[in-house]
Amino acid sequence: MSGGYRQQPGGAGKTIRKDGKRVAGKQAFPPPGSGGSKPEMAPRDLDFIPEMVGGKEAQPAGAHIHDRARTGTTVGKPTALVDSNAKVTGQAWYGDDVRLSNEVIGKILRSPHHYAKIKSIDTSKVEALPGVLAVATGADSPHQFGVLPVTKDEHAMAVEKVRHVGDLVACVAAVDEATAMAALNLFEVEYEVLEPVFDPKKGLEDTDEPIHWRGKYHLARTNVQKRVFQEFGDRSLVEKPLASSHGKWNMAGVHHGFTEPHAVVAHWDPNGRLQLYTPQQVPHYTHRALATVLDVPMHQINVIRTFVGGGFGGKSDPFPHEMCAAILSRKSGRPVRITFDREEVYWINRGRHPSHIEVKMTADEEARISGFDIDALIDGGGFASFGHVTSYYNGVLATAPYELGSFHYTGARVWTNKPASGAMRGHGAVNTRCAVEVGLDEMSEQLKVDPIDLRLANLLPPHSRTISGFRITSNGMREALEKVREGSDWDNKFRQMPLGKGIGIGCGFFISGSGLPIHWDPNRFPHATVHIQVDMDGGVTVHTGAADIGQGSTTAVAQVVAEVLALPLEMIHVRSHESDTSPVDLGSYSSRVTFMNANAAIRAALEIREQLLKAAWDVLGYHPNNLVLNDRRIYYKHDPAIGISYLKALHKAQEDKGALIASGAYRSPPMGGVHKGAAAGLAPAYSFSAYVAEVDVDVETGLVKCTNVWAAHDCGKALNPLAVKGQIIGSCHMGLGQVLSEKMVYGRTGHLQNPNLLEYKIPSVHEMPHVEPIIIESCDPEGPFGAKEAGEGPLLPILPAVVNAVYDAIGIRLRDLPLTPDVVFKGIEKGMKAAGVVDPLDLESPRVEHGDLQPILVKRAAEHKKRDRSRQRSEDTSPYVNGVLFGFDPNLPLEDQVEGWRMATEPDPEQLAALGLAGKAWLKKEQRHMGGDE
Amino acid sequence: MMLMPPFTLHHPTSVDAACELAAELIAAGEAFDWVSGGTDLLPNYKWHINPKPHVISLAKIGGTTTISGTEMGCMVRLADITEENGAHPVVVQAASKVASSLIRTNATLGGNLCLDTRCFWYNQGEDWRRSIDWCHKADCGTGADCRVIPNQNTLCVATYQGDIAPTLMVLGASVHLIGPNGARTLPIESFYQLDGMKKNVLEEGEFLLKVTLPEDAAMRTGSYQKLRVRDSWDFPEAGVAASWVAGDPSSLRIATTALESIPRTHPEQVEEVLKPGWEGVDSVKVLSTAVQKSVKPVNNTALPPRYRRSMVRVLTKRALQGMLE
Repeated sequence: MSGGYRQQPGGAGKTIRKDGKRVAGKQAFPPPGSGGSKPEMAPRDLDFIPEMVGGKEAQPAGAHIHDRARTGTTVGKPTALVDSNAKVTGQAWYGDDVRLSNEVIGKILRSPHHYAKIKSIDTSKVEALPGVLAVATGADSPHQFGVLPVTKDEHAMAVEKVRHVGDLVACVAAVDEATAMAALNLFEVEYEVLEPVFDPKKGLEDTDEPIHWRGKYHLARTNVQKRVFQEFGDRSLVEKPLASSHGKWNMAGVHHGFTEPHAVVAHWDPNGRLQLYTPQQVPHYTHRALATVLDVPMHQINVIRTFVGGGFGGKSDPFPHEMCAAILSRKSGRPVRITFDREEVYWINRGRHPSHIEVKMTADEEARISGFDIDALIDGGGFASFGHVTSYYNGVLATAPYELGSFHYTGARVWTNKPASGAMRGHGAVNTRCAVEVGLDEMSEQLKVDPIDLRLANLLPPHSRTISGFRITSNGMREALEKVREGSDWDNKFRQMPLGKGIGIGCGFFISGSGLPIHWDPNRFPHATVHIQVDMDGGVTVHTGAADIGQGSTTAVAQVVAEVLALPLEMIHVRSHESDTSPVDLGSYSSRVTFMNANAAIRAALEIREQLLKAAWDVLGYHPNNLVLNDRRIYYKHDPAIGISYLKALHKAQEDKGALIASGAYRSPPMGGVHKGAAAGLAPAYSFSAYVAEVDVDVETGLVKCTNVWAAHDCGKALNPLAVKGQIIGSCHMGLGQVLSEKMVYGRTGHLQNPNLLEYKIPSVHEMPHVEPIIIESCDPEGPFGAKEAGEGPLLPILPAVVNAVYDAIGIRLRDLPLTPDVVFKGIEKGMKAAGVVDPLDLESPRVEHGDLQPILVKRAAEHKKRDRSRQRSEDTSPYVNGVLFGFDPNLPLEDQVEGWRMATEPDPEQLAALGLAGKAWLKKEQRHMGGDE
Repeated sequence: MMLMPPFTLHHPTSVDAACELAAELIAAGEAFDWVSGGTDLLPNYKWHINPKPHVISLAKIGGTTTISGTEMGCMVRLADITEENGAHPVVVQAASKVASSLIRTNATLGGNLCLDTRCFWYNQGEDWRRSIDWCHKADCGTGADCRVIPNQNTLCVATYQGDIAPTLMVLGASVHLIGPNGARTLPIESFYQLDGMKKNVLEEGEFLLKVTLPEDAAMRTGSYQKLRVRDSWDFPEAGVAASWVAGDPSSLRIATTALESIPRTHPEQVEEVLKPGWEGVDSVKVLSTAVQKSVKPVNNTALPPRYRRSMVRVLTKRALQGMLE
C-alpha cells in the first residue's frame, strides 16, 4: 500500500472551542502525532518482509517461526548502534567517568612476589597518615568468590598467600590519589617467599605447596585445577590411516587489550544500600559475588553497569577490586573510586590461556576424517576464573563442523604463579581450532587434494548431531566455504603463487549461547528475561539486564522490539544499566545475548502487540488476523483506509489498566548427552565461518603481512548487517594480533615483561588487511528472526587461515604462535638447511598436483550439497548423526552397531601410558582415592 | 593511575637564561631534566623512572626551530622534518619512521638524539620494578644489579633506540652543545658515550642546541632501514643507515642503531671491504656480514638478540641497494 496516513490526527474535534481556543484540561494527548519528525506513515518495506508472509525478502533457508512478527521496520537493515551518539559525542559514561560528591580514591597494594605466604601486615603507619580514610586487608573479607560456582577460589585481598606478582594484598582509601599512593609505601608486610611454578608442565607434578588446595578433591599434590578425558567413536578407524598430521603447538597467552581499563565506584547510600558502578560484562555475577563477600543480601546491592569500553571476556569475572572498593567505601563512609592503570589490567588479566596443544589427525582411504586426537595443557595462572569451562572447550568445540570417525581428547588446566587466564573472545576454541585446521591443510597435501574440497566433502549437514552429542540446527558452513573460495579466486592462487606470497583457508565453529545457565537449573529458571512497558506517551521502555559491551546488544534488543511493534527505533528506550530495574540476565559471554535476550524481548513484544491488536479489533471490528501493523498505524488488511493510529490503539488498550506491561523469557530446549561434561559446549545454536587469508612473507626477515581476508560468517540472520560486518572485521583484527604479534611475554624470572600497550603489540592500522566481510544467513529455526551469534565465532578462522597461508608462501609449517618475525625466520633457517640453500630467496614454495581422490571428493561434496540444501529447508527431516558418512545407521544407537564404539569420560587403565602431555594428569589420583587423611 | 610526580617547570626564553637557570639549580644542589617535546621524558616520569624536582623546558627559547639542509635546531618537530622543509632526504626517511604521526607532531629532533636508553627491565611501572628488586639503571638507592647482565652493577646495557642519529652520523653531522661552561661543537659520533646510563657526553647543565651538516652532505644519497614488528609506534629493534656520494664507493659510511647502548658508525668494516676495491654485490655481501658481526645486541627489547643481529646483515644489504643501481 502507499503511505500518506497521518499519525495521530492531533487535537481535533471536541477539545477545540468555537472561538478556536483549547478547552482547559481536555487537551488531546499527546499533541501532535506520535511520529516526531515523521508525521506521515512510511509505506511497508516489502524488501524486508519475508516471502512466506507476502513480502519480497528471499528465504533460501525456508520459513521461520518469527516470520509473522516481521513488519519490515528494522530487522536486516544496517542500523547505527543506538548508543553511538553518546559515544561519538563523548557523553557515554564509562567506569572512570562516574563522579560522586565527596568521593575518595582507592589504591591497591600488590604483591612484589610470585608466590609467598603473608606472615603479617602492619597497617598502623598507613592509618596514621593524614588524609587516609580507610584501610583494608584480606582479614576484612574471608569469603571466597569466583565466576563459576564450582571453583570459588578468589578473595577480595590475599588471605593466606599471594599467588602472582600483582596479586592484591591490601587496599587504602585516601582523600586524593597522591596521598593514597604515598600510603601504599607505608604498609609493612612480612612475606615468607615460596618456590613459584611458571611452567605448566611443572604444574602437573607434585609439589610441597600447591597454589590452591581443594581438600579431598585435590589431585594428589599437583597444581592441576581441572582434567578432562573424552573419547567417542570407533577408535579402530585411526589404525590404518591414508594420511595423518601430527602437530605440537606452543601458543602464547594473549590479552583482550580493551581500551578502557577497569574502574569501579562504590557508594553506600543513605539507606545503607550499596550502589556499585562498574563496567561489567556480567553484572549479575558481580551482584552475587558482592553479596557473598560483603555478607549482605543481594537486595541491598544495586549494581550499575556503566558503559563498557570493550570487554572481549576481560570484564566477565566478578573482580577483587570491585570488592575492595565496596569494603573501603563501607569503612570510610565515602564513595570510593578505584581506576586501574594498564599494568594493573595485565595483572588481573583473564586473557587467553598460554597453551601446549598436540593434535593428531588421520584420514582414511576415502579421505574421511577417521580420527581427531587432541591434547591441551593450558596455563591457568593463579586462579580458576572460567578455567573449568576452558578445559572442556579446548576439546569439545573441535568436534564440528566435520564428521569424525572418532574423537579423543585429554585436557588439563594447571595453576601457575602468573596472572590468571580466563575467557577471551572465542573462549577455549581458538587455539585448538587453529591446530586442527592446520592439520587438515597438512592432510590435504598428503592426500593430494584441495583443502577446501577436503572440507566440503566432510561437513556435518544442517540438523544433525555431533560425535559428542551437540545438536546442530542451522548450518551455513558449506555456503561460507563456497563464497570465500569464489571471492578470493582460490582456484587460481592456491599453491600457484611465487615464493613469499601465500593463501590459506581456515574454518570456525562456535557456540551461540551456553546451553547451561551456570547458576541454576535450566528447567526451573529461564536464561534471560525482558520486561516491556508502554505508557500513554507511546514510547516503549525495555528493561533488560543484557550488558552492552560495545557489541550492540542494546541495539539488537531495541531492533527486535521495534520490528514486532512496527515502531521507529527512536521510540524504543532500553534500560539496562541497573540491577534494581533490570530483570536478571546472565550477562555478555559465550555469545548468548542476541540469541537469548532478543528471543526474550520478542516474546515480550509479541504480548504487547497482542494487546494493541485486541484494542484495534475493539475499535475497528476486524479480527487481529486481518489486521496489519505498520509504522505507528494498525489497519485492515484488505482496505488500509480502515485503521487507527498506534497511539489510539494504545490508549484504547490502556483503558482501565494504565501502562501496558509484558514480560518475556527465553529457555533453551532440552538437548545434549548425559555423559560427564556433556553440557560443556552445548548451545541452542552454533555459528560457522570460513576465511581465506592472503599473506606476504618477507623471506629475508620473516616479517609476515596479511594483505587480504575474505571472511564468510554464518550468523543465521543479520539483524543488523552493519554490526555483523563490524564484528567480522574486528575479529579479524583481534585474531591477527594473536597469530602475528601479540603475546604476554614471561621472562626468565617469571615476570610479565610487557604489561603495556607499547610492548604488547596489538596490530596498528598499518597491519590491518583489507577484509571483505561476507554474511551467510542460514536462518536458525530457534534464533530471534533466525539470528545466531556474530561476536566470537568470526575470530576463529583467521588464525589457521594465516598460518596456512604462510605455509603456502614459504613451504614451512610453523606451530609457535604468534608468528613474530624471529619465529618465522627461525623456521626459514631450518627450511634453508633442509633444502640445502644459503639464500632464503632460493627456497621453493610448495606446489600441488591433484591425485585420484580429488574427483571423488568433488563428487561427494556435490552430493552432500544437495543433501544439505534439503535438510536446511527441512524438506528432509530424517535423523542425521555423526557417523552416517562412515556407513552407520542413524536410527540405531551407534554402540549397538559398531563393535568397539567408545563413549568414555575416563581413560581405561591400559590407555594411561599412551596419553599426551595433559593426559598425564590422569596418572594422578584425587586425595579422596589415595587413602590419605584428607 | 599513573600520576605524574610533582616538579617545577621552568620556561627560559633565551639560551643565556637557560644556562643561567641551570647554573643556579646546580649551585643550589637541585636536580633537573631538560624537556623539549616531552614524548620520552614525561612517560618515564609517569612511571616514576628517575623523576627530578625541576624540569627546564626549551620550548620558548627562540631560534631553535631552524630547519634546512645544513642546520636543524633542537626544537624542530619530527613532523616538520618529514614535511618538505629542506631537511636531508635520509634524515627525512628516518624521521618519518619514528613512532606514530601523533607522537611526531610533538617529538623533537633534540629529544630524539638525547633519547633515554631503553630496556624491558627498566621501562616499567614502579610496582613492577619493585617486584624485580629494581635494576642498576634506576636502583632507588639500593645498588641493585643489572638484570640483563646479572651479578654486576657497573655497566648499564640499556639500548639506544633512536632512529635519526645514525642518519646524521653517515651524513657527517656535528652537534652543538651549550651550558653554563660555554659552547662546544663535536662530530655526532663523539656525542654518544658507552653505558646506558651515561648515554652521551652532555655534562650537567649542558643541552643540545642544534645540529649542523657539512655543505657536501647535500651531495650524499643513502638510506635508513628499520626493523620493527609494527609499522607504527614501535621503536627500532635494529636500524642501519648508509650514505655515499653517487659513483664514489670510497665515500661510503654506515651506522647502526638500536643494537647497543649507543648508535655508532662502522668505519673499520667499510675500510676493510674497500681495500681490494668496490665489487658491487660481492662487496655488499661481505660488508653486510662484517657489520652484522661487529654488533652485540643483548636481550632487553621485544625481539631476541640473535634475531636482531641476523637482521643487521639484511638491513645493511637493503640500505646499500641504491649503490648497486
